[in-house]
Amino acid sequence: MNSLVVLAMLLAILMIGLGGKKGLRSFITLFINFALFIVLLFFMNIPEVNPVILTMIICIIISFINLFYINGTNTMTKTAFASTVFTTLLLSGLILYFANATFIQGFGKEETEELSMASLRIGIDFSKVAVAVIMMSTIGAITDASIAIASPMKEMHQLKPDIDRKNLFIFGLSIGKDIIGTSMNTLFFAFVGSYLALLILFSDLSYSWSEMINSKIFSGEVVTIACSAIGLIAVIPITAFCTSYVLTKKTPPSQQEN
Amino acid sequence: MNLVKQRKSSKSIQKGALVVLLILSVISSLFFVNHNASFYDETIAEVTQTKLLQKEQVTDEFQNRDTIYHQELTAKILNGNEKGRIIQLQHTYTASGGFDDAYHEGNKLFVKKNAENQFDITGMKRDHLLLGVVWLLILILIFVGRKQGVLSLLSLVINMGIIAWVIQSYTNWDDYLIPLCMLGCVLFTVISLTLVNGWNEKTFTAILATLVGTFISFGIAVFVLWLTKENGMRYEELQFITRPYKTLFFAGLLVASLGAVMDIAITMSSSLFGLYEKNPHISIKQLAKSGREIGKDIMGPMTNILFFVYVSGSIPMMVLFFKNHATFTYTLSTNLTLEIVRALVGGIGIVLTIPISLFIVLFFIKRKQVKQ
Repeated sequence: MNSLVVLAMLLAILMIGLGGKKGLRSFITLFINFALFIVLLFFMNIPEVNPVILTMIICIIISFINLFYINGTNTMTKTAFASTVFTTLLLSGLILYFANATFIQGFGKEETEELSMASLRIGIDFSKVAVAVIMMSTIGAITDASIAIASPMKEMHQLKPDIDRKNLFIFGLSIGKDIIGTSMNTLFFAFVGSYLALLILFSDLSYSWSEMINSKIFSGEVVTIACSAIGLIAVIPITAFCTSYVLTKKTPPSQQEN
Repeated sequence: MNLVKQRKSSKSIQKGALVVLLILSVISSLFFVNHNASFYDETIAEVTQTKLLQKEQVTDEFQNRDTIYHQELTAKILNGNEKGRIIQLQHTYTASGGFDDAYHEGNKLFVKKNAENQFDITGMKRDHLLLGVVWLLILILIFVGRKQGVLSLLSLVINMGIIAWVIQSYTNWDDYLIPLCMLGCVLFTVISLTLVNGWNEKTFTAILATLVGTFISFGIAVFVLWLTKENGMRYEELQFITRPYKTLFFAGLLVASLGAVMDIAITMSSSLFGLYEKNPHISIKQLAKSGREIGKDIMGPMTNILFFVYVSGSIPMMVLFFKNHATFTYTLSTNLTLEIVRALVGGIGIVLTIPISLFIVLFFIKRKQVKQ
């Protein structure tokens, strides 16, 4: 049997067994995300399509589905969605700048052997693809961080309906501070684990410190991890601000109803 | 009253001093890295002028249209024996940029003299830009994260050191990659969790749960792949390594899930201990129920985070394959199998860690309640 199928079935069994209905929805979301990924790939091959704008659209759709399908449509998910979109927009500007300045697009000389038979003149702008790669890497983490902040903020607001905007915002920030450590770790280890082979290659080729730092692939990794992390951190104050604004805006009419 | 005022002002002086120190570090390191050409053995030249010589539209064998640009660059050598000399560089690049770059003024390039005493471009100096983006990250981490931000930064730096040590040791002790990585995992977990959360029972249970969860899911991965005789696995993308690529893949698998599992473990641990602290008489049954609910909420997002991180990196290669008229199935199977396995194994680790951490936390809380 195909290893991937077995692993996927095992994951499905575990998710449904331990997570019930929500677990099933989480597993289905994984499939949906994969499908969206394929859609992205398909459209990226069309030279007339701008990869950055395409990725922006796909990221919005991903965020939309991941938030509203699993968690339902309510104030919490709506603010989380808005914050995610806004952060991704800001981040794309940052990524565009750094990816272009450092020329990390395409492939490095360590990959020459693999590509010897291929035509590289494919008419697709690899620097825009590089931006797409970084945006896609982080969208999951940004969406998750966003809901992780909006959710407790809503609970706090329900517990203390008279809490003012500033204190609610500070509360949101404190939750964010708590998750920074673990979120950073998740991203960091995920990237390092994927590129362990490459790091070992550098070591084997006896790259000097300066050779490694200035190499295209390593620089690409540094820019990717750094930009992803910046996006992950930036979504915290943005979400805290949006959520505190929206939640405190609604207080007066509901109090009047009581 | 005076004492309070004194303490407050000394604290703000401390804070002010740190800020000044930080700003000085940023400025001095950026200045250094922009002027460190003399520290390099390779010759570095800075582009002062670019001239477009020719532009041609090309079509490759797969009907892809591209543009080739021929450039002449004027550059000034920044280091070595010929410092200050102005040189001309011939450069060709494509609109796609898959393997070449459209250099412009200000770029610092590594150059090397060739047989005809002309200079060839061998690479680009990127360290000053990298430092810029890293500082941006550090500053935003400190600004938004304050103390926790600094601590997580510290743990990242230490973790990088451990990884460097693991890789270095591996170059010397060939057959021990997996044990080295396992040792690395233990170190990563203990250091990362303790630095950010302090040394307490919350952290302790999380560390335990992380290690158990990671190693069990790793064991399951090894078992399944052995059982299915790795049917469907395509190791092509790792074959440029001169090392045993399967071992490398498994080692990477071990390390990659660690972060996500840590996140789950500490979230479960913090939440459950938090509930217990609010109500020390809470029943184990109630805690277990809450724990399961928390787990249900976090298992989905975590798995999806891993999925996106892993698969995104293969996008450029897959675009290349498609435009070279590779079939859909071939492209996906050659490029994505490893990433999908990583994501699935990570997901299994995440889901398994939920009941594992629940069990460990409940065990400790039960013990505490019995003591009361």
